[in-house]
Order: sequence, then structure tokens, then C-alpha cells
Amino acid sequence: MSVINKSKDNKPEPVAYSEAALRNNASVVEYCRTSMAALSGSTAGVLGLTGLYGFAFYVFAVVILWIMFMVRAGPNWHKYYVSRQSLLTNGFFGALFTYVLFWTFIYGMVHVY
Amino acid sequence: MVELLLDPKIRVWVFLPIVIITFLVGIVRHYVSIILSSQKKVEIIQLQDSQVMIRARLLRENGKYLPKQSFAMRRHFFNNEETGYFKVQKRTAPSQNPMTDPGMMTDMLKGNVTNVLPMIVIGGWINWMFSGFLTTKVPFPLTLRFKPMLQRGVELTYLDASWVSSASWYFLNVFGLRTIYALVLGENNAADQSKVMQEQMSGAAMAMPPDPKAAFKAEWEALEITEHKWALQNVEADLLSTFANDSK
Repeated sequence: MSVINKSKDNKPEPVAYSEAALRNNASVVEYCRTSMAALSGSTAGVLGLTGLYGFAFYVFAVVILWIMFMVRAGPNWHKYYVSRQSLLTNGFFGALFTYVLFWTFIYGMVHVY
Repeated sequence: MVELLLDPKIRVWVFLPIVIITFLVGIVRHYVSIILSSQKKVEIIQLQDSQVMIRARLLRENGKYLPKQSFAMRRHFFNNEETGYFKVQKRTAPSQNPMTDPGMMTDMLKGNVTNVLPMIVIGGWINWMFSGFLTTKVPFPLTLRFKPMLQRGVELTYLDASWVSSASWYFLNVFGLRTIYALVLGENNAADQSKVMQEQMSGAAMAMPPDPKAAFKAEWEALEITEHKWALQNVEADLLSTFANDSK
């Protein structure tokens, strides 16, 4: 649907987005993000990361997830996402809370006692 | 500051049970609210209003895909001075008090039963059952400001701020497990309180615009100032150019 053609008079082609598809994509991405936060939080807890190393690991995990999205979408990512930057930054802090919870939980289970 | 040594039994009998209890209570709350939820009765006139509003909004947003004449025709149906739908319909603003509506009251009561009551009961029970334990330590340093938040029930002045008491661990779980519920139970689940509130608000707004008269007026204005700009102006040229590119 969103094949980009430069028309003769160089006007930017209006791109039509399907609302339902957008919402579905967003919810799938949100699922991936939550799973990523939980898994990477558990990993950080098992590894026993503390302080800034843990937060650095979170940033690392977010970037890795973003790269995975990009690899999955391939060169024509325009078909799936409106913007690549917002895919990286959306929900950063929401997932951070999940990450910290899992990190604390597993760290407490493994390293505190 | 000397590193504390915690009894490993605290892990098995306090730390882990709190997580499991919080998680399972959320799931139970989800299913209980499904059982208790009643199909909202919507009056036919309200449904009609909301459907008309949706149609007008769709016309405003997607009217650019219609030819100019079709767009004008549809707008005429809504906005014409004598026969337009928004002009003809005379709705009276409802002035009923939600407190007098018994259905509303039951809904509110059910919301309280499923949301507030478990919160108080389980929170109180956890406070009573698991009070006075230090359960875990957050793996990052915190300032003293966090002490009352993380060490509820354990007032020790010289304790490092990154230790977490059992009651605070419960609250951390309550707020942190939200996204996990979304993962386990699907999107609009009832375990998450803030989502429920949102859903109630938007659901109510969808079913019945609070004051149909004002809503009609606003929609009429919005539709009146909508300018028709056909998006498919040079669609033939684009199609032909794609063919030309393909054949090259």
C-alpha cells in the first residue's frame, strides 16, 4: 500500500496508514519489549551486575532488540514502522521498571542470601 | 557499613511467597472481574448518536479518498441547514445524577470489590504475616530519600538505603508486575487497575456522549470547516509510471 513513488511534479506522495495495522504492530512490539525487559533483567540478576553496569546492560539490551527489529524488517522497514527512532525510544522507561523488578528479584534470589 | 547476612529461609518463606501471591492475586482479580462484569445496557438512541458521531469523524478523516461530489453529498447529509442530521436532531441534555442510576451504582460497587478490596485485604495480610523482614537488596545504590519508601516497617537509622523490607517488596511487585500481566493475560486485562480505569472512561464515552447536543454541535463545526482535498488526484499518472518503471 505504501509504495513510495516520486511523482513527476515532485510532490511528496501522501502515505496511507491502516489504523488497525498500526495498532497491531505497536502491541506486538510492546510484547517483545516486555519480554526483553524481563529476560534481560533476569540475566542481569544472575550475572550479579550492580549499579551502573546493570543500567548499561539495559541500554545494551534495548539497542540489541532494536537491531533485531531492524534485521527482521530488512531494507524495506518503511512497510512496518513509521519511524525507526521512535521504535528505539518508545516505552524506554516503562520497560525499565519491569527490568529493575526482575533484576532485583533474581539478584535477591541468587546473590543476597 | 557491615554487609548484612540474611537467613536463606527468608528467601524461601518470605521473599518468594510475596512475588507468587502478588502475581496470582492479580490473575484471580482478572477472572473475578470477568465473572462480575455485566453487559452494559445501552439505550438505542445513545447507540445511534455514537454511531453517527463515528461516521462523521470517519468522513472528516478519510474524506480525501472520496471524489469531491461524494464528499459533499455525505456532508450535506450531516450538515445541511434544513435537513442535515446534526441540525434536525434535537437531543435534550441528560441531567441525571449517576448516583440515582442503580446500574451505575452496581458497576461502581463491583469496581470497588474487585479493585480496592483485594488491595486492602491482601496488603493488610501481607503486612501482618510478613512484617519486619528485610527481604532483599536492590542492586544499585540509592539515596536516603528512598528509605521510607523501601523500608516500610523496618525503621533502622543506620541501615543502607538499598535494603528492601517485606511490605515495600509487596508494593514494588504490585506496581512492577503490570506489564507482566499484559504479557500473560493479553492487552486489556483487568488485573491492572489503571488500565481498568482508562477502559471504563473510554468505554463510557464511546457508548454515550455525555451531552449529545454539545457533541453534535462540535462535530457539526468540525465537519463544516473540513476542506476537501482529494488524495487520489494523480493516481492514474502514478499507476502508469509504475508500469513504465516495471517495463524498463
